[in-house]
Amino acid sequence: MTFPLSRRSFLLSSTAALAAGALGTIPTLAQAANLRLIFWGGQARADRTYGVVDLFTAENPDISIDGEFLGWADYWPKVATQTAGGNQPDIIQMDYRYIGEYARRGSLAPLDAFVGNGLDVSSFDEDQLRNGTIDGKLIGVSLGVAAGATVFNTKVLSDAGVDIDPMRWTYDDLLTLGPKVSESTGGAMAMAPDGSGIELLFENWLRQKGKALYADGQPAFAPEDVTEWFELWTELRNAKAIISPDEQAIDTGQLETAPLVRGKSAMNFTTSNQLVAYQTLVPDELGIAIFPATAPDSKGGHYRNSSQYFALSSASASPEAAIKFINFFVNTPEAATVLGVERGVPASSTMRDAVTPSLDERSQMVVKYIADLGEIAGDVPPTPPASAGEIEVALKTKSQEVAFGAQSPADAGPAFYDQVIETLGRSN
Amino acid sequence: MSIQNVASAPPSAEAEKVSGWRRIWQQDAPGYLFLLPWFIGFFGLTLGPMISSLYLSFNHFDLLTAPRWAGLDNYVRMFTNDPKFSASMRVTLFFVVFSVPLKLAFALGVALLLNRGMKGLTVYRSLFYLPSLLGASVAIAILWRQIFAGDGLVNKFLSIFGIVGPSWISNPNYSLWTLIVLSIWQFGSPMIIFLAGLRQIPQDMYEAASLDGASKWRQFWKITLPLLTPVVFFNAIIQTIEAFKSFTPAFIISGGTGNPINSTLFYTLYLYQEAFGFFRMGYASALAWVLLALVAFFTAFSFLTSKYWVHYDD
Repeated sequence: MTFPLSRRSFLLSSTAALAAGALGTIPTLAQAANLRLIFWGGQARADRTYGVVDLFTAENPDISIDGEFLGWADYWPKVATQTAGGNQPDIIQMDYRYIGEYARRGSLAPLDAFVGNGLDVSSFDEDQLRNGTIDGKLIGVSLGVAAGATVFNTKVLSDAGVDIDPMRWTYDDLLTLGPKVSESTGGAMAMAPDGSGIELLFENWLRQKGKALYADGQPAFAPEDVTEWFELWTELRNAKAIISPDEQAIDTGQLETAPLVRGKSAMNFTTSNQLVAYQTLVPDELGIAIFPATAPDSKGGHYRNSSQYFALSSASASPEAAIKFINFFVNTPEAATVLGVERGVPASSTMRDAVTPSLDERSQMVVKYIADLGEIAGDVPPTPPASAGEIEVALKTKSQEVAFGAQSPADAGPAFYDQVIETLGRSN
Repeated sequence: MSIQNVASAPPSAEAEKVSGWRRIWQQDAPGYLFLLPWFIGFFGLTLGPMISSLYLSFNHFDLLTAPRWAGLDNYVRMFTNDPKFSASMRVTLFFVVFSVPLKLAFALGVALLLNRGMKGLTVYRSLFYLPSLLGASVAIAILWRQIFAGDGLVNKFLSIFGIVGPSWISNPNYSLWTLIVLSIWQFGSPMIIFLAGLRQIPQDMYEAASLDGASKWRQFWKITLPLLTPVVFFNAIIQTIEAFKSFTPAFIISGGTGNPINSTLFYTLYLYQEAFGFFRMGYASALAWVLLALVAFFTAFSFLTSKYWVHYDD
């Protein structure tokens, strides 16, 4: 069965079809893009992120997004390898410890040209924009405001008859009340984990003393401060207010290995946004408090950090499409509703107001915590020097040496300080 | 039909006169063609990266910007001013020195038991081999964490006797030993090789020895072990190299840190940290070449001394 079709009419009609197809596709070709997105986090974050991706691609059918997520420890090697191999995803979730390192080496694109031109940051809190600015250029779009916070198991504390004032509690409280938790649980639990190796907590303590972790790429603390820090934790350890060193060493940074989740401690020292993720893993109700104060009205330790950023690869083939997605992520109420405060409280005041009423109780607590920090919080520290990630690991290792008794606090202070100096001065 | 024709046709004079090159081409080309996937893999994925890593070991290279020539800096630093290098070297050598002999002894012991002509030998052989298949997997490393954690299986067992054990896996005094135990548990592949070696030993030797009144113990030392030395030698070399390369268990169990207090900081783990965690690919390349030299030295040493203790009974 054949249709009578002359060669001329065939050519004509096929040309017409081609032209029609071309007309139809030209507008899409200009925008069509396949984006790749990479972020660290757990399943809760992945579900929310992919929820927003689905909303976005439903609105922009010509853009497709392939997402990939890993745990914190595996994330950085992966991003480094992809970057070195010229295979960097278009949109990369960044942390304040690494964003400077990547930006200064030219692998992240400055976003200033997109501001007001695809990327709307007019309702962003000013400190959140400043956090994402490296050497005068906007590199990272803050995905949420977060601050250091203590997440605690309300049931375990009340069973032990321990009552802390969430915005004013102190290291002395931990020392005096801690043993009660250990007693009421028959030694199965301690009040707090061993925080001596947590860089964020150490920084908070330094700032309360009017010092800082880094200034101008150098340590802004003295060896004696480190010694005092380790002595503080040795005292807490001896009083059984915190868990044993071998229980602490099980914690590899994944949520599932945290002492709070494993039922070994009633608390965890983390960031405010993590309350949401921890609550999915702990059956008892969780509460949120500040990092312990050195004195009840001590100020300046906390700061409104950006929990993470989205940054644009400088090698991205479709920067406009990527910016479109980032803008959608931080500036549409639908996206904000899906994301909640799992990545922190939205950095845009408009989004914050839009999303807050619909949040669940835990998430409301996170928003309130950030608001309550108000005058307790100090200025955001400058972007840490390159190698900050390595020093974070070094503090953890050094804290274990002290905790297991391999080195005294008096020796560990100068030893850690020298290590910091050496690491910062070393070229890659 | 046509095949028959070709096969029965007498070789033509022309075919005998083809040039050497052409003959090589005709005869060997299919061979090389079939080897091509291997060649591509070898040059593209093994030799190429090795050469570039040798070059990079003389550079500072942060992965994100172009390498900068560093001369011998990386090597000098390693041997003069890097406590983590010496720590990781100590951990790795300790692991090699203890895990390899213990694993071989265990594998030989089980092989001797299995060689006594028991029923269901194949079942047992497969069962004992299973851990070797699972060995370096992530799942097993996580399982190990559970078994040797503070409230893990080992301590539950010990508590029956009223012993309160530490968290083996996260205590710097024991953490490396849990990894050595993990390595010994994967005795399957040397065991299979030992078993094959034991089968090679002529039975009449044992019969003669029994007639002469030699005890089983004496037979083992005078017959079994000497005749098995080539197999011991082979297994020792393979297992030593494996032990030097060991990475996954320490990586998973310590969450990639080598902690507590660097007690599980295997050399390969340190190398990985430097390369991908701390952006020092040049230094990591230098570390890799030192490891290669070290393994080569151990292997060469084993070969050189082998003539004094390995008996080839030909």
